[in-house]
Amino acid sequence: MNKLFYQKLAFTNIKKNSKTYIPFLLTCIITIALFYDICSLAGNSGLDSMPGAGEMRMMLILGTYVVGFFAIIFLFYTNSFLMKRRKKEFGLFNILGMEKRHVSLIIAFETLITALISVSLGFLIGISLDKLLFMAISKMFDTNITLGFYISSSAIKSSLILFGLIFLFMYLNSIRQIKLANPIELLHSTEYGEKEPKSKWIMTILGIVCLSIGYYISLTTKNPILAMMLFFGAVILVIIGTYLLFTAGSVTLLKALKKNKKYFYKPNHFISVSGMIYRMKQNAAGLANICILSTMVLVMISTTFSLWIGMEDLTTQRYPREIVAYIDANEKDIQTMRDVSKQLLKDKNLEKENILDYRYVEFAGYQEEQSILTDRENIYANMTGAICTVMVTDLDDYNQSMHTNYTLNDNEILLYGKRKEFGYDEFEVFDYKFKVKEQVDEFMGNGNAAANVSSGYFIVVKDETIVNDIYESQKEVYGEHSSNLYDYYGFDIDASKSEIEEYYDSYTKALEDAGIEGYDVECKTVSYAGFMALYGGFLFIGIFLSVLFIMAAILIIYYKQITEGYEDKERFEIMQKVGMDHKLVKKSINSQVLTVFFLPLVTAVIHLAFAFPIISELLRMLMLSNTQLYIYCTLGCIGVFTLVYILIYSVTAKSYYSIVKRN
Amino acid sequence: MMSLLKVKNVKKIYSTRFGGQKVEALKNVSLEVEKGEYVAIMGESGSGKTTLLNILAALDKPTSGEILLNGKNIVNIGDKEISAFRRDHLGFVFQDFNLLDTFSLKDNIFLPLVLSKTNNKEMEKRIIPIANDLGISDLLEKYPYEVSGGQKQRCAVARALITKPELILADEPTGALDSKSTNDLLTLFNTINENGQTIIMVTHSTLAASHAGRVLFIKDGEVFHQIYKGTKTNEEMYQSISDTLTLLATGGVRNE
Repeated sequence: MNKLFYQKLAFTNIKKNSKTYIPFLLTCIITIALFYDICSLAGNSGLDSMPGAGEMRMMLILGTYVVGFFAIIFLFYTNSFLMKRRKKEFGLFNILGMEKRHVSLIIAFETLITALISVSLGFLIGISLDKLLFMAISKMFDTNITLGFYISSSAIKSSLILFGLIFLFMYLNSIRQIKLANPIELLHSTEYGEKEPKSKWIMTILGIVCLSIGYYISLTTKNPILAMMLFFGAVILVIIGTYLLFTAGSVTLLKALKKNKKYFYKPNHFISVSGMIYRMKQNAAGLANICILSTMVLVMISTTFSLWIGMEDLTTQRYPREIVAYIDANEKDIQTMRDVSKQLLKDKNLEKENILDYRYVEFAGYQEEQSILTDRENIYANMTGAICTVMVTDLDDYNQSMHTNYTLNDNEILLYGKRKEFGYDEFEVFDYKFKVKEQVDEFMGNGNAAANVSSGYFIVVKDETIVNDIYESQKEVYGEHSSNLYDYYGFDIDASKSEIEEYYDSYTKALEDAGIEGYDVECKTVSYAGFMALYGGFLFIGIFLSVLFIMAAILIIYYKQITEGYEDKERFEIMQKVGMDHKLVKKSINSQVLTVFFLPLVTAVIHLAFAFPIISELLRMLMLSNTQLYIYCTLGCIGVFTLVYILIYSVTAKSYYSIVKRN
Repeated sequence: MMSLLKVKNVKKIYSTRFGGQKVEALKNVSLEVEKGEYVAIMGESGSGKTTLLNILAALDKPTSGEILLNGKNIVNIGDKEISAFRRDHLGFVFQDFNLLDTFSLKDNIFLPLVLSKTNNKEMEKRIIPIANDLGISDLLEKYPYEVSGGQKQRCAVARALITKPELILADEPTGALDSKSTNDLLTLFNTINENGQTIIMVTHSTLAASHAGRVLFIKDGEVFHQIYKGTKTNEEMYQSISDTLTLLATGGVRNE
C-alpha cells in the first residue's frame, strides 16, 4: 500500500468534512491565540515597573488558568461532538475492511493536521493581535504605559504544552469511542445521537451549592483584606457553579417543565421546551463559557474603568494637600521644616494656602464593642475580623486645621469613623474610658490613613498630654512594632504644575541639607503622574483582555447558532407540514434563539450584581472608596456590552433565519 | 351526494426565478373525491403527482383553477388561516415519516393537537383508541430513533388521524418500508377507510395502489385514466393497474 495512504485519507477527510471542520479549526485557533496573548501579558516584563505589579500578575495568572480551563472543556467538548457525527464514516471504513488500528491511525493524522494548523495559525494570530492591540490602545491613551510588545517564548512554550495535551487527549478519547463500538453501532450512532438527556439532580444541587457559597462569600465579606483572600475562591466556586447549572441544571429544569403537562402542552412551550432540552445538551458548555467570559469582561472593564475615572478623586484623598510631609514629632525638626518651606516659598515668590499642621499617633487594635483591645494575641488570632486603626490627635490641632471651635472636658472626645460606624457612647482604649461627646463628619485629611485598607476611628482628645500618654502606652504594648508620634504638615500652593514640581525638588533637597531625619515628603502633582501610569496600565489590560474575550464569545455564539440552523431547518419544515403557521415558527425560533443568546448575558449580570460587594471591597484596597462611581461605571459597561451583544445577536439571528426559513 | 373534494381545471406552471423558462407541471386537472373514498394517484416521476398532492395539501398554490373541500375553496384561504385549516381538516402521511426526533412518539402524535390548543385530557383520551388500533400503545414513550420504520410510519398515521381530519393525504407512504411493513400499513389504510375515512394516496407502487378503491393515472400533467376497483380482488386490481401502466409506458391511446 502507498506509504502516504493514511495521511492522504486523513487530509481528504478533513476537506470533505470542511463544513464542520472549519468552524472547529477556527475555535481552536482563536482559543490558542487567546491563551497565548494572556500568557504573554502575564509574563510581560513591563508589568514589573508598574506599582501593584504583584497583584496584577496574580490576576493575570489566574486569567491564564481560567482561559486554559475553558480551552480544555470547550475544545474537548466540541471535538467529541464532531466525532459523534463522524462515527458513521468510521463504521463504514471498518466494514470496508479497515482494521480499528488503521482507523486510529487516520484519526491520529487528522488530529495532527488539525493541531498543526491551529497551533501555527493560533500563534500567528495571537502574536499579531498582541501587537495590534498594543498599538491601538497605546494610541487611545496617549500616556506613558510601561507595557511593551514582545514575542514571549515562555507563553509559546506553555501554550504548546497545554494544547499538545488537549489534542493528545482528544485523540485518545476519539480512539476510545471507536474501539469500544462495533461497526454496526458506529454506522447507526448518528441516530442515537439525539437521545434525550437525563435529569441530573446531584450535579444540579452541587451547582446551586457552589454558586450560593460563592455569592455568600461576596455578600458577607466586609473587609478588604479578607476580600482579597477569599475573592479567588469565590470566583472559582462561581465558575464551577455556572458550569454545573448550565450543563445539568438547565436540563433538569426543562425536564421538570416537561413533566408539568398543563405547562408543556401549550403550542409555544411544547416546541420551545423540547427544543431547548436538546439545545442545552449540545450547548451548555459553550454557553457557560460565554457566561463566564462575559462576567470577566464586565468585571475587568468596570473596575479598571472606574479606577481610571476615579483617579482624580483618589489622589485628592491620598494627598489632601499639594505638598505633604510626615515627620517624627519633635518640636525642633518640625520647626525647621516649617521654616525651610516658608523660606523656599519666599524665594520663589509663592503663597501657601490651606495649611494642615497637626501631630498624631496611629496604631492598630481589635474592636470589641466599645473597647479597642491591644493585646497582641487577640490581634493575631483575629487577623481578619474587627481589626481597626485608631488615630489620635488633640483638640487644638483639630480646631485649627478644621476651623472649628469645639471644647472638650478631660474625658471627652470627638470621634470620626473611617468606613465604619461607631455605635456606642463610650470609647475605651488602654486605661482610658472616654465619653464620645460628638461624632464629627469631617476629619483632617491624611494620606497614609486613606491608603490604609482597614477601617478605623479618628479621635480628638482634649490636649497634647493625652496624645503623648497614648503614644507611650502603645509603645509599651507593641514594642518594636509600635508607631511613632508624627507631625503632619501639608499645604497647597497656588502655582503651575512645573512650578510645583520645581518647588518639590528644591524642598526635598533643602530638607536634606537641613539635616533632619525621619520624615517623608510627598507631592500630589508628581504622584498623580505615577497614578496615571498605574491605572492607565490597569485600564489597558482591562481593555486588552475584554477585546480578546468578546471576540472569543462572538465566535463561539456565531458558530453554535449556524451549525444548529442546519439541524433546525429540517425540524421546522416538518412542523410546518403538520400545520404550524409561520408566526408560531418565528415566535418559537425567536424564543429559543433569544434564550440561548441572552441566558449567558443575564447570568453574567446576575453574577456581577452578586460580585458587587466583594469587588467594591477590593477597590477600596486600591483606594477607590467611591462606590457610586463604581456603580455608574458598571452600569455603563453593562450597557455598552449589551449593545455589542445585541449587535452580534442581530447578525447571527439573521443568518440563522435565512438557513431555517422554508423556501 | 356532494363530493368531499372537487378539483376544477387546476393548472400549475413553475417558472425559473428570472421568469425565463416555464415548466407546466399540471396542465388541466379536474377530479372529484366522494366522502369515504380511497383514491390512489399514480404516475411516473415527473408526471405532476407530487405537485398535485402539494396543492391539495395547501402547501402550494395552483396557477389557476379551484379546489373545493366541502364546498370551500382552499385556494383563497389566506396565509394566516392556512396552517389552522391544514391542521383541522387534513391529515398527512409522508414517505420519510417526518417525525421530530426531539419528541417521544406520543408527543409527535400530539403535535397537531397541541398546535390547535387542545386540552391535555382530551388529547390523552383521543390517543388511546388510535394507538390501540395501530398497535403502538406500548411504544408511545419511545423516541423515533428507538423504533423501526414500520412503527414510525404507524406513529405518523396516528398523528394524521388524531385530529379527525376530513381527508388524509399520503405521499408514497410505503416508499421507505420493507414488504412486511408495507403490507401491514396497506391493511391498516383499508381498515381506516372502512371506518369511513377518506384517503388520497400518491404512489408509484402498484401493490399500494391495488388496495385503493379507485386509481387515477396522471401523465404529462393531466388525468390520463382511472380504474375503479369495484368488486375486484386486490390481485385482479393489481393486474389491471399493471396493464394500464404498461399501456401508459408504451404511449397507448387514450381510453376514457
